[in-house]
Amino acid sequence: MNAIPAAASDEHGAPQRGGAVRAVFHGVATAMFTLAGLLVVTFGLSRLSPVDPTLQMLGDHASNSAYAEMRRTLGLDAPWPVQFERYVGRLVHGDWGISSSTGERVGDDLRRVFPATLELATLAMALCTLVGLPLAVLAAWRPRGVLDAGVRIVSLAGNSVPIYWLGLLALYLFYAHWRWLAGPGRLDDAFEYTIDLHTGSVLLDTWRSRIPGAFANALSHLLLPVLLLGAYALGNVTRLTRAALLAESAKEYVTLARAKGASDLRVLLGHVLPNAAGIIVTVLALAYANLLEGAVLIETVFAWPGLGRYLTTALFAADTPAILGGTLAIGLCFVLLNAVTDLVVRLLDPRTR
Amino acid sequence: MWILCISCFVRASYAAGLPDVLVVAQSLDDIVSLDPAEGFEVSSLQLFTNVYQRLVQPDRDDPAVLVPTLASAWTAGATPHSLVFTLRTDAAFANGHAVRPEDVIFSLCRAVKLNRAPVFILNELGWRADTIDASLKKIDARRVELDWSSDVGPAFVLSLLTAPVASIVDELEVTAHEANRDWGNAWLKRHSSGSGPFKVRRYIAHEALVLDANPSSPGDAPLLKTLIIKNVADAATRRLLVEVGDADIARDLGPDQIAALKGKPGLKTLRFSSATIHYLMFNAANPGNPALANPALWEAARWLIDYRGIADRLLKGEFEIHQAFLADGFPGALNDTPYHLDVTRAKAILAGAGLDRGLKIKLSVMNQPPFEDIAQSLQSTFGQAGIELELLPALAGEVYAKLRARSVEAAWLYWVPDYFDANSTASAFASNREDGTKTLAWRAGWHIPALSGATAAAVADQDATSRRGRYLAIQAAVQKSSPFVIALQARAVVVMRTGVQGYAQGLDADMAYYDRVSKR
Repeated sequence: MNAIPAAASDEHGAPQRGGAVRAVFHGVATAMFTLAGLLVVTFGLSRLSPVDPTLQMLGDHASNSAYAEMRRTLGLDAPWPVQFERYVGRLVHGDWGISSSTGERVGDDLRRVFPATLELATLAMALCTLVGLPLAVLAAWRPRGVLDAGVRIVSLAGNSVPIYWLGLLALYLFYAHWRWLAGPGRLDDAFEYTIDLHTGSVLLDTWRSRIPGAFANALSHLLLPVLLLGAYALGNVTRLTRAALLAESAKEYVTLARAKGASDLRVLLGHVLPNAAGIIVTVLALAYANLLEGAVLIETVFAWPGLGRYLTTALFAADTPAILGGTLAIGLCFVLLNAVTDLVVRLLDPRTR
Repeated sequence: MWILCISCFVRASYAAGLPDVLVVAQSLDDIVSLDPAEGFEVSSLQLFTNVYQRLVQPDRDDPAVLVPTLASAWTAGATPHSLVFTLRTDAAFANGHAVRPEDVIFSLCRAVKLNRAPVFILNELGWRADTIDASLKKIDARRVELDWSSDVGPAFVLSLLTAPVASIVDELEVTAHEANRDWGNAWLKRHSSGSGPFKVRRYIAHEALVLDANPSSPGDAPLLKTLIIKNVADAATRRLLVEVGDADIARDLGPDQIAALKGKPGLKTLRFSSATIHYLMFNAANPGNPALANPALWEAARWLIDYRGIADRLLKGEFEIHQAFLADGFPGALNDTPYHLDVTRAKAILAGAGLDRGLKIKLSVMNQPPFEDIAQSLQSTFGQAGIELELLPALAGEVYAKLRARSVEAAWLYWVPDYFDANSTASAFASNREDGTKTLAWRAGWHIPALSGATAAAVADQDATSRRGRYLAIQAAVQKSSPFVIALQARAVVVMRTGVQGYAQGLDADMAYYDRVSKR
């Protein structure tokens, strides 16, 4: 679902009056169109699936009458277009339907699981940005040097090692063997069922609870998945940022700056980096979007109750309302990230205005 | 520096330090509902045993013996098809309300009228939504009369009433939470209203189930104050949790995880017999492959399964060889194991029937362990006899849909009895009344009027010894020649900390008992 377009939207000529309004209108229309398309495709795929959601719920011992009753309850006895119309009708009134695998409203489920993923992905992204960007700058500063080779090995390793295996290994070493860090889940059981997660962020809620040890425990549970997810995203961010910086370094204005006697580092930080900022922001946004949707394996290994695991469980249960809701939520994330990325790129790069 | 930071979080194991809290790591992803009239998955059935009670329940040490639970006694009613139950004087729900005859009537009525997955168990009594009201009568403040229209005896009726769907809920509490005439179903999906040793404090779907002890439960109060069942979807992670001590018990570990924990200090592994049976089914009703209806193929297949290899080497002791449909431990179970891997004999049988010329069969199998591992073993041994098995892995919902549509050619499946009586399994494997009931025999396209009659006669037989004899004969017939090749009986393997004492588990899926568990 890598749907983020190129950051630069080329509008030739000077900004015209009303351009901003048109851009907003265009953005909203594109978002709506994307989400509607996503809805149609996801609904169609769920209906084409050979899995019978009724039997997935009831098992194969159910009587014919119970089977018919459940099909009616799930609304599966109506033709597909009617089912779709009903779903969309409810959706526009804010009703995402009821998940057949949790028995809860999908909206409530998403409000519960999305913050868990958001917290994990945001911290991993922060780590990835703080470490990945300096690494990329260092690699671009002395290309093909020892440092560059080291950075490339690190980024390749981040991409190549299966994260599921790495997660289990990290758990085995840091949790089971050395016992330095907490294990799976968001909190130890002593805190998990005594602290209400109002905001959905385990760090914020444990901090606000003022229960001794709770915040440290939350941090201890977060460290491993954040480090692993951050390392996973680091590979792409470092590699692509380095490539963008090197591509920018080959341009004539850089040669001119060097000819005027500016140092390599000054050229890199003062000229190349600002001009590559648009691409770097896009790379970071892509990485963030991937973390938001793609933390399934880490969430499974670390028993992290996030969106990825929710969606996977829904898929295995043929739980159509949850699948549609989860997919729409991820689609919304992409659309919002697209919009924010476009905005930031416009602010950073006058050529795109 | 990193090490310094990390060592700030150095920690002792949590679960081991709390004597009153038991932490169980297992997958809870199968739970659809905590309502006993609706939930029909292993995790919810196990919960019902610990949260709800029935009028009678199987004895945990000998499930063939029924013990009074919410009822203190029962007697024959006014007709041969009725029973009168007397409720215990101390029977009370976790909220303090006394258990009344009205609660019994309400619970059974709502189960039948809700018409969810497990209702077919109560339908065996002839109870339907339009007849159930007339079948349940309050006699006085402590007695209730149940009657039924099916041609079955009281012993069988009592067996049916031990099923979790017959759990008794508090009418007053449940009706107070009714919405849209749903019999309180939406509320009971996430809460409890029972009289069992535990009550649900909190349920977070796909995350955890937290139970508190119910000291007022009729019978012994539980020894622990809190039971936390955590959803840990990954078996390798469950293994680490119990190894470290953050979980006291880990369930559903794979053979590799169990092997890795063998001999580790502080851990013990318990193996319980389970009534789960694994079998190969051919669909004789599939017009695309007429060989599937040939009894010679059925017979050859019995010699083409590496029973010992699968049980001992592939699945490392999680299964035992069992070749009849009633699991060992059920009254009337046939424990003969006449078949073993004998490719030469199978080839001769196939050649004699003209089935030795490149037979191809599509084998549907659920895409999760151990089904795929077993299917690969079958592919290998059937291949040695010239039968090419094409494996079709799929989600359970897809396999079930194909079975109901009778579109599979063959499938590797498992069976779990729905209640503790031989009829639960016999009526599936050895009954095809051709009346629209989609029993396993119907799905296999097996036309058996005589055997179906024998199965109906067995359930109506009220003499226990004679009934056992009937089931032995029916099993022998299915074992000798049928589209079912029954091969294995599962063992439930549970790994726990050595300090955990008193855990018990029975044959049926729901028989997991936490009330006598203590920790040292």
